[in-house]
Amino acid sequence: MTVESEQSIQQYREQVWGELIKIARPDSRFHWDFSRFIPDFPGSDRCSDFVMGLDAYAQLGDRQIFVTPDNSTEDLRRRLILDDRPFLMTTYGLRRGFVLVDPADVPPGEARYAATLDGADHYGRALSLSELAAGRPVGMLVTGGSAVSRNGIRFGKGHGYFDFEWALFSELGLVDGGETVIAVMDDCQIIDTDLPGEPHDVVVDWIVTPSRCAGTGRGPRGPGAIRWDLIPGSEFEELDLLDELKEVLDMGQE
Amino acid sequence: MREHHESLRASVRRGLEKLALEQDLSDSTPIPPERELMERFDVSRGTLRSAIGDLVSAGLLRTEQGRGTYVNKEAQARLLVWDRLADVARPDSRFHDDYRQFVPDFVGRDACDEAVQNLAAWKNAATVFIAPDNSLGGLRLLALEQGKRVLVPTYGLRRGFVLLEADLIPPEQRPLAATLDGMESLGTCVGVAAVPEFIDGVDLMVSGAVAVTTQGIHIGSESRYLAVELAVLTQLELVSHRTPLIVTAHDCQVLEVDMELSTVSCVASTVVTPTRVLHCGAHTGRARTVSRTDERRVLRLVNAAIDEEVS
Repeated sequence: MTVESEQSIQQYREQVWGELIKIARPDSRFHWDFSRFIPDFPGSDRCSDFVMGLDAYAQLGDRQIFVTPDNSTEDLRRRLILDDRPFLMTTYGLRRGFVLVDPADVPPGEARYAATLDGADHYGRALSLSELAAGRPVGMLVTGGSAVSRNGIRFGKGHGYFDFEWALFSELGLVDGGETVIAVMDDCQIIDTDLPGEPHDVVVDWIVTPSRCAGTGRGPRGPGAIRWDLIPGSEFEELDLLDELKEVLDMGQE
Repeated sequence: MREHHESLRASVRRGLEKLALEQDLSDSTPIPPERELMERFDVSRGTLRSAIGDLVSAGLLRTEQGRGTYVNKEAQARLLVWDRLADVARPDSRFHDDYRQFVPDFVGRDACDEAVQNLAAWKNAATVFIAPDNSLGGLRLLALEQGKRVLVPTYGLRRGFVLLEADLIPPEQRPLAATLDGMESLGTCVGVAAVPEFIDGVDLMVSGAVAVTTQGIHIGSESRYLAVELAVLTQLELVSHRTPLIVTAHDCQVLEVDMELSTVSCVASTVVTPTRVLHCGAHTGRARTVSRTDERRVLRLVNAAIDEEVS
């Protein structure tokens, strides 16, 4: 990524954060520090309605759904539990890998609890990468974010977790380009312009806000690849998951 | 040359850290003098001083002009206990196993909750302050199930307190209300200065700890949130020196040592572990000293909160 685009992205991010702080809900640990979490906002329940109303959701069949551990997707996780639909998520910052939340493990009345990050630690099942790789393909990915452009170029907190996660799914053969990627955002997080994006950006198919559900008409996607060249010196370097990933990918080549 | 100096400094730093951690916790004498350490590590005064300076900024050592260099006993206790926690602690949903950031839940905690329930201080309390520690989720839930009012600070008191009232939370939502992620949406968020409008007083305080001594000296995180919270509630006249403080901890967090009180802020009336209940009555008389720095922070917090509510 060029220095110039990095700067303008940070500008967009801070511009949006300035609006977002007026409506966002604080995090239990990080308060208002949007560089550390993606906040929930009023109306995120309407976003869940839009996501679950998409044909892509109805047509998932036995393909899995992945939801990022953002606060803005908490209501959607609650709704998925109520809809009896297991979902994949990561632990915060991928530090303890992937988790499967299966509604069968959640007692009646506790969907809302299980949908929080504290609750996912309580009711979720840790999944190793080999378990993940042996599982069913992923047909839908839902993520929050800091901002998204009209044509579906999305920015997160500035760490690149979602792009990494999608690339990982791609390397494990869990996505093939036909998957639906959805960004859940408040209206104030939409940048009303088209942005060029970078080759490793995962362009989203749908931008869902409390007021609308807009398709971006993105072109073909993938296949994705882990950018091993970007890992040294980044926070990804410390992840236990990387060693496991190397092992799983080596096994695949034999 | 510069690189050589840097690696030498790092190795002296490690040597000093080892020396500090191996000092007896009840030993409050200074570490050996400069000349002796220069010989031991075979380095110049400059290198030794930069390494000491590093550990002073990290909080493990403190230098007193003309007297020598001392080990900060609280910092030493934290480092010793963090090392033991890995086997028994449960990770946090955001901070994982970074124990500098949070007080973890631990294996055997149910037995702690059971023992706390049987204490008269718990039974008699209608309004309980419970710290936002992961090890106290069970007690927050229990308090709600028993119809108590629960006052929980937000992390670092940054956004005031949350008041959880059993009557206002449906039974099936109480497990969620007992978590940090759930309490704000199910409880009432109360600014620091507004707490007296909601409650007349706190009957009992319950906290976790990084470490606690058998005499009840509470060692929390470096930010000493409990001391600040205690001082805020004292300032608001909601607690007094007679309010009991129960500290729960895993046995590996309990230090069998007679540490000096001077640098410590809070003393428990009772310490509860999965296997023991320690009554620490002896110390309550001189308990809860608040350091000058903490006092200033408290005044700042209370004043800021009042300003905010006025404007």
